[in-house]
This record gives sequence, structure tokens and C-alpha cells, in this order.
Amino acid sequence: MAEALVVRGVSKRFGGLRAVADFSFSVNEGETVALIGPNGAGKTTSFNLITGYYRPDAGSITAFGRELVGLPPYEICTLGLARTFQVARPFGQMTVLANVMTGAFLRDRRPHIARERAREAIRFVGLADKENALAADLTTIDERRLEMARALATEPKLLLLDEVMAGLNPSEIDQAVGLVGQLAQRGLTIVIVEHVMRAIMAVARHIVVLDHGQKIAEGTPRTVVGNPEVIRAYLGTGYAHPHPHATD
Amino acid sequence: MVPIKTIAIVLAATILIALPLVVKNAFALDICIRVLLFAFIGVAWNLMGGYAKQLSLGHAAFFGLGAYTSTLLLIRLGISPWIGIVAGGVVAMLVSLPIGWLCFRLRGPYFAIATIAVAQVLMLLFLKLRDFAWGAEGTTLPNLGNAPLMMQFGGKAGYYWLALVLLALALAITYRIERSWMGYYLVAVGEDEDAAEAIGVNAPRIKRDVYLISAFLTALAGTFYVQYIYFIDPNTAFSFNVSVEAALVSIVGGIGTLWGPVLGTILLEPTSALLQSTLGSGRGGVQLTVYALILMAVILWRPTGLLGIFTDTYQRIARRG
Ligand SMILES: Nc1ncnc2c1ncn2[C@@H]1O[C@H](COP(=O)(O)OP(=O)(O)O)[C@@H](O)[C@H]1O
Ligand SMILES: [Mg+2]
Repeated sequence: MAEALVVRGVSKRFGGLRAVADFSFSVNEGETVALIGPNGAGKTTSFNLITGYYRPDAGSITAFGRELVGLPPYEICTLGLARTFQVARPFGQMTVLANVMTGAFLRDRRPHIARERAREAIRFVGLADKENALAADLTTIDERRLEMARALATEPKLLLLDEVMAGLNPSEIDQAVGLVGQLAQRGLTIVIVEHVMRAIMAVARHIVVLDHGQKIAEGTPRTVVGNPEVIRAYLGTGYAHPHPHATD
Repeated sequence: MVPIKTIAIVLAATILIALPLVVKNAFALDICIRVLLFAFIGVAWNLMGGYAKQLSLGHAAFFGLGAYTSTLLLIRLGISPWIGIVAGGVVAMLVSLPIGWLCFRLRGPYFAIATIAVAQVLMLLFLKLRDFAWGAEGTTLPNLGNAPLMMQFGGKAGYYWLALVLLALALAITYRIERSWMGYYLVAVGEDEDAAEAIGVNAPRIKRDVYLISAFLTALAGTFYVQYIYFIDPNTAFSFNVSVEAALVSIVGGIGTLWGPVLGTILLEPTSALLQSTLGSGRGGVQLTVYALILMAVILWRPTGLLGIFTDTYQRIARRG
């Protein structure tokens, strides 16, 4: 299967801090991969490196065969990579519809087409009843929905989701898992950063674990959850017990 | 039935066009012309400063370039200001490219300060250009009487109509942009440049493009103004007041709205003209003080500009009706 994203030996320092160190992983087309690890592990920094917000000190990043290092974020988006921000960044003075239309204009400059596509994305994330609300007036959870709709409106081939489920209650998590599953079914390639293990187990077939900027494990959910180093660094010893199938 | 909005627009347009036929008082007509001109400059500024929130305080640079380009062409080569006004616009566009390249990497107040500096440098340059551009003394423009082909008119009415056309042009451009993808991109960049780039907005390019448009329009105002007052010198052409007023009328009226700068100018410009006529030479300081007070009042009471009061009222009435 063709590779959608290949990250090879990428490093990023902030002063003396090695936020990401010699990090490699790859994602096949149509696959959903989860990137997990404790706070400060370098997950968001990795997203910022992939999407052109930071330039890696070393390493290469290719998507769909194109080198991304050195490209500005908007060109990377044009190539088909869309991301959400961990802290949502809505355009507050625009309505929900206008926010998402701005994303849709990337693929078609005609307002009526962009409006139609935006409405589709808004409906998909469940914000249809708020399309005329000012983005500044949304709740945190609706902000995340908007963030996702706006990214989807750019018609990406690869979607990078940064903790879109943080702070959701269990039924909202189920909804979000459903959405991610639907996107995967449509053939979208997804990299998801998440702390909610239940959600990760539900959507990802492959997990990459970061700690202190380094990859400490990778594999199927089952093997990763049973990995002693992952348990020590991130999951804690309590994790494996309530899930009898999680360990072999 | 014809929608009420269309009737209102046709009515307003008729009144505006017929006004100089009724109003013969030169002082009143002069105020009207200044209102139209500064509303025009405000609308031009607002495209960039309002929609894209690139707060330029140096638009006098383009006003001055427009004024000098057409005047130099007129006096040195005898070329009609109708050609000069377009040439001035093109010069302003060309100059906006390196300015934008330098200044757009700065954000917030640093951007504003950089644009002030650029306008000041241009003023100093023209102060030094003694042989080529008359230095600090400036020059008067030849008075050709009523010569419409040379953009000179016997009475004030001609200038009034020209200013009205300019304002209509700028409003039409803004209207078109506001409704197109470009309007959305400008507002997105103004709200959050990084988030805009994440969804494919080429922020450097959109800022460059809107700067080109804004610079072009502002330069037209410069040509108009020197043709109107028959005089040019660096202090007039690159006046910091022009830069401030362009921003101020938009902020007072409603930043990033179609009609905001027009409303702001209607409130501010007559105030300034009346102050000038009643207080005479003491003008500079008093005018700035009054402006500062108005600005503070607006920011405290209606930070999004006064236009909001009208649109809110309109919506209340519309909902009731
Ligand atoms: N722009 C930055 N400047 C300095 N340090 C940063 C910057 N961004 C992230 N860091 C640091 O890099 C490390 C990794 O952060 P981050 O990628 O946000 O972690 P995660 O998303 O996995 O929680 C943290 O120690 C964080 O403080
Ligand atoms: Mg993070």
C-alpha cells in the first residue's frame, strides 16, 4: 500500500529542550494512526513540523511523494494535509458558516459552491443549527467541531487531529469516534493525537508512542498497550487490568 | 414591488448627484468635497486596515506619490492629470511591493510604526528633491480655468462629482471583494493568520494584493487633492494627518465594514472643518485633541464602530416589521 506520510529522522530543539528527537514514522494511505504520549512528549510539535509551522532542525517529511520541509503551511494544506489546533482557533468575528466557507474556498472560489460544501461539512460535524452563530459565541466543544469542519472543507487527503476529544463526556466521545470512523471509511488518512484510550482503541489500527520527544514504541493497539515501557511512561500500571484483551 | 433598499439607494444617489445644483455655498460644498474625498481614502484604507487588520499609519505615502506623479507629469511634460492619476496609482502600487515585503513580516504595532517610517522617509526624500520636485517650497499648479480635460473645473461642482465617482468606485470594489473569496480570506488573515494558513490561505499573497489595491486607490485621492487645491509640497502630500484620518474615520465608523469609513468621515470631517474655521490658526492641536476625544469615546462606548448602532436598529425594525 502507498505511503501517505513519511516522517524520517525529524528533530526539533527549542533552546536546550529537545522537543522532538530523531522521530520517524509513516502512515499508509487510508490508515488511521494514533500518536500518543504524556503531555510535553512532542505530539503537537510533530504536527507543527509536519504542517510547516516549524522547520525541523534535521530530517525529512514527505506526503504523497512530496517533500514538505521548507513549504509554508498554506502550500502543505493545498497538497491535501489539513490539521486542527489543540486549542481551537476559530475566526471569532465570522459566523460558523463563513469560517467553514473560508476553508472551502481553497478548492473552489465560487461563493455558492463554497457555501454548499461548507454546509456539508457543518452538517457532518453536527453544527447545522448554529451555522449563523458568531464563532466567538461557541462553546469549547462546538469550537472543536468548527475546527474540524473547517479542516474538512479544504477537502484533505490526510487529516491531523490534535486532541479533538479532550474535555468531551462519554457520549460526546462516542459521537466523535463515530465521525472519525466515518471519515476513515471514506478513505481519508488520519493521524490522531488523543489521550482518551477508549477512543484510540476504537479508531486506530496502529499506534505510535512518543515520550520526551522520542518514539518509545509502535505497533497494533494490543501490543502497544502491553508494552512495559509504554505502561511505565504513559499508561500507568493500572491500565491493562480492566481490559482483559489488552494483554496477551 | 421594488425592494425598499433599492428605492433608498436610488433616492440617496439622486440627492447626492443633485446636491451641487442646489447647494451654492462654497464653504458648504468644500466640506462636502472633503467628506467625499476622505471617505474615499477611508474606504481604500479600510480594505487593508479594516478587513485584513493590517493597521497602516502610512497611507500618506501613496497619497503623496499619487499627488507628485500627476503633478510632475503635468508640469514637466504637460501630460493631463487624467493620465497622471492612473500613473500615480501605478507608481503607488509598485512602491507598495517593497514596503509590503519589508513591513508585512512585522505584526501589530510594529507594522503600524514601520508604515509611519516609510511615509516619513518619502516626505524627506521629496524635501531633498529640490530641482526635480520643488523641494520644501513646493509649487502651485497652473490655473487653466475651466479645463475638464486637464482635471480642472470652473466651480466646485466638478470636483464634487469627481470625488463622488471616486467614492462610488471604492465602495463598489469593496462590495465586490467583501462578497468574494477574497473578502473571506482578508477577514481570516485579520483574525488569525496562522489559522488561516492552516486552511490554505496564502497570507503573504493576499496581504500583498490588498495592499496593491489600497495603495492604488489612495494615490488617486492624492492627485485629486492637488488638482483641487492647486498646490503641492511634501508636507501637504505626505501629511501624517492623511494617514491618521484614513485610519480614524474607519475606526470611528466601523472597521471592516462597507459603510463604516463613510459614516466616520461624515462625523469627523465637518467637525474638523468647523473647528478650523472657528479657531483658525490654533487648529492643529485642537483638532487632534478633539479627534483623540472622539476616538476614546468610540473605543469605550462602541469598540466596533458607530455603524453597529445603525445596523442594530435596522435589524430591530426589520424583525418587528
Ligand atoms: N514554541 C515553543 N517554544 C518553546 N518550547 C516549546 C514550543 N512548543 C513546544 N515547546 C515545548 O516542547 C515540548 C513538547 O511540547 P508539545 O509538542 O506541545 O507536547 P504535547 O503536544 O505532546 O503535549 C514541551 O516541553 C513544550 O513546552
Ligand atoms: Mg499537544
